[in-house]
Amino acid sequence: MGREVPFPPPVMGDCQMDENILEVRHLTKNYPGVAALKDVNLDIRRNTVHCIVGENGAGKSTFIKILTCAEVRSGGEIRFQGRDFNPRSIREAMDMGISTLFQELNVVNQLTVEENLILGREPNRYGIIKKTNESDRIFQLIKEFAPDIPLKKKVGLLSFAEKQVIEIVKTIAVEASLLIMDEPTAAVSENEAKRLFSIIRYLKEKNITVIYISHILDDIFTIGDLVTVFRDGEIVGTKKVAEITREDLIRMMIGKITVDEYIPRAVDYQKKVIEVKDLTTNKLRNISFSLYKGEILGFYGLRGAGKTEIAQALFGLDRLISGDVEVEERKTRFRIPQDAMTNGIAMVPEERLTEGLIMKLSVRSNISITNLKALSGLGVVHNREERAVAKKYVDVMNIKAKHIEQKVATLSGGNQQKVVVSKCLHAGSIILLMDEPTRGVDVGAKEEIHRIIRNLAENGTSIIIFSSEYPEIVSLCDRIYLLRDGEIVKEVKNQEADPEGILQIITRGKRTHHENNLEQ
Amino acid sequence: MKITLSSSFLQKMVIVGVLILIVVILSFLSKSFLTFTNLNNVTRQVAFVVITGCAVTPLMISGNFDLSIGSILGLTGMLSAFFVTLSIPLWLSIVLSILVGSGIGLLNGLMVVKLRIPSIIATLGTMYAARGLALVITGGNSIHMGLGEKFILLGRGYLGGIPITFLIMVLTILLFYFIESKTILGRYTYAIGGNKRTALLSGINVGSIVIFLYLLVGSLTGFSGTLMASRLGVGQPMVGTGFEFDVIVAVVLGGTSIEGGEGSIFGMLIGAFIVGFIANGLNLLGIHSFYQSILKGVVLVGAVLLDQKFKEGIAD
Repeated sequence: MGREVPFPPPVMGDCQMDENILEVRHLTKNYPGVAALKDVNLDIRRNTVHCIVGENGAGKSTFIKILTCAEVRSGGEIRFQGRDFNPRSIREAMDMGISTLFQELNVVNQLTVEENLILGREPNRYGIIKKTNESDRIFQLIKEFAPDIPLKKKVGLLSFAEKQVIEIVKTIAVEASLLIMDEPTAAVSENEAKRLFSIIRYLKEKNITVIYISHILDDIFTIGDLVTVFRDGEIVGTKKVAEITREDLIRMMIGKITVDEYIPRAVDYQKKVIEVKDLTTNKLRNISFSLYKGEILGFYGLRGAGKTEIAQALFGLDRLISGDVEVEERKTRFRIPQDAMTNGIAMVPEERLTEGLIMKLSVRSNISITNLKALSGLGVVHNREERAVAKKYVDVMNIKAKHIEQKVATLSGGNQQKVVVSKCLHAGSIILLMDEPTRGVDVGAKEEIHRIIRNLAENGTSIIIFSSEYPEIVSLCDRIYLLRDGEIVKEVKNQEADPEGILQIITRGKRTHHENNLEQ
Repeated sequence: MKITLSSSFLQKMVIVGVLILIVVILSFLSKSFLTFTNLNNVTRQVAFVVITGCAVTPLMISGNFDLSIGSILGLTGMLSAFFVTLSIPLWLSIVLSILVGSGIGLLNGLMVVKLRIPSIIATLGTMYAARGLALVITGGNSIHMGLGEKFILLGRGYLGGIPITFLIMVLTILLFYFIESKTILGRYTYAIGGNKRTALLSGINVGSIVIFLYLLVGSLTGFSGTLMASRLGVGQPMVGTGFEFDVIVAVVLGGTSIEGGEGSIFGMLIGAFIVGFIANGLNLLGIHSFYQSILKGVVLVGAVLLDQKFKEGIAD
């Protein structure tokens, strides 16, 4: 570990203002119907690696978005380097010295490593780029961190982790004083993660403060000096990493879980509707599971663990490298989603706006689109039947639309999601894949959607929930598969689910796989 | 909130307004504008754009593009004459020419869907290739001789006092309006153009639909080509140069967005007549065709700009 950092003395004591690079006071952020951040107060000490953890929806991302100016705060103050911090654009935040390493990297694939490193600030005379010591110094850093990255190579040919290194070096080049890293190890290998940690240590030596956001608790114990836990838009506490155990941290993250009570269902375990054997794709390894009639099955894991990938593989979107999928004891191989749908599978996709709905079209058209054939003869749509179906779902699902001709773009998130569920039901599916079924909907709509899901299962539909929200998984699902790095690591029956144990398993880093397998 | 319900209707009313304005202005400026002979003339000229546009509109609504239609028009028109000179019966010559058009449309569709070539590039390729093929077959010459009297019947003939071309145009409009508004195919084109990913996830076989739309464009353009040759009474390989842009201008003027997801046959029809009337009016006023081209460009960009502002206005 880097050098020891003194824990902050009591506030307003003898410490100079200069000790904190960033001070956040009474920060709030309200979305319609939801308070994403409630009175957040936080100090980031100069020259530390400050970790931020919390479950999905805890407010971490919103916090980061406000710091980088991707979102506008609703209230509160932020002081950076002792001055009020009110940037109007991401660029302005960068110029003031806050850089961010997003999960979606900002490199230009068509340019070379060198060109990327000096992009936007090319030393030049009359527009002609010239070599300088300055740019040589930056290129030298790449050689130091990752000698195997050729400077003349096109960035598009590099791996994700290599691109990440380039982005970090760019932040050193622009002389940022604070670097925010959002889940930097989510998509990199063990060795690449190690390299990343050594770069972070170098950053500390160069007086660059790091805010490190991660789900992976191992990372925090490897690299962090301080850790702040977010929960439900509030800060639970800030601790020195050296003085806290893994168990303490998990307890802080979970808090008192308020979970709707799980109501056991009469699942027909004689009737298997899906059996998956050793399914392997680019992102998944040897996924095997079965789903029974009327069952709600859950896949739980962190972002990037493979939830969406399983849904997409089952739905004919991703190519299988190997493995078998049997639907109702018939062997199947889906080329496109249409094949999956004719076999009775429908999907509520993760991205409602870009995958679930057609924004320019009405509630009616969005619902009927999955099965127009049932509402038509000889290719001609029967308007009256179509309207009747749309009206039926608007009533049954309690979709708050003025009329069925309203454009879905003008509905609230919860009502949009109900339209997506409706179109899946209209397809006449017996198996429903639901990827983050309540992401971005308000509490009331969330409960309604959960009720709808339970009702469907009661009536014999088999459902797979892919979620990164523990309360959702545990209040709905009969069985839960825990996912990590594209593999199923454990199967848990609902009654045996204990949140601490489950978080222990899914927050393991890659380094501890083997150790963990031994435990099982 | 009534406005969101009928925004597309309002949009249509705006371009109809523009058309009426143009007609009113031109009828004041030129006495011979609002005569039967002149209107008949304009309609005949516009008919080819409209007939082809009927298939191009759904293609563009689905978010795709076709630059090869001008060349298909030239090739198929020339072929219909060429086949007749080979002593193939007229009706069969027409059918074969349409099949050639369909074949090129199918090829376009396969390249775009199966080989994932961007539609502009794929159809630019067939645009050159089809034109070249037309020139190769005739050695660059026109076919005048041995076409027979019946050859010009479709293009210049009358049925019950109404020009046959006009009848064909009306039938095509009705058919495609029906497809657009009443059928599954019509609905799918809007869905695919609105959001291809969602359409795919909703169980629509996006690839087959897009291929079929290209096929339709090829077939209808092939038919237009034979009509054009019949009207001209000659098989001429260079016919239809720049025709693709006349059609695209009409479709875009009619409110079809280049990104897809919106548009209509009705709009395309109005768009085609706006362009047709402007060209015709300027001719009547004795303004040189060089200036017409400038004005066409201005009208196109202006109309699209107006349309955008109008939509933003509704959004507010």
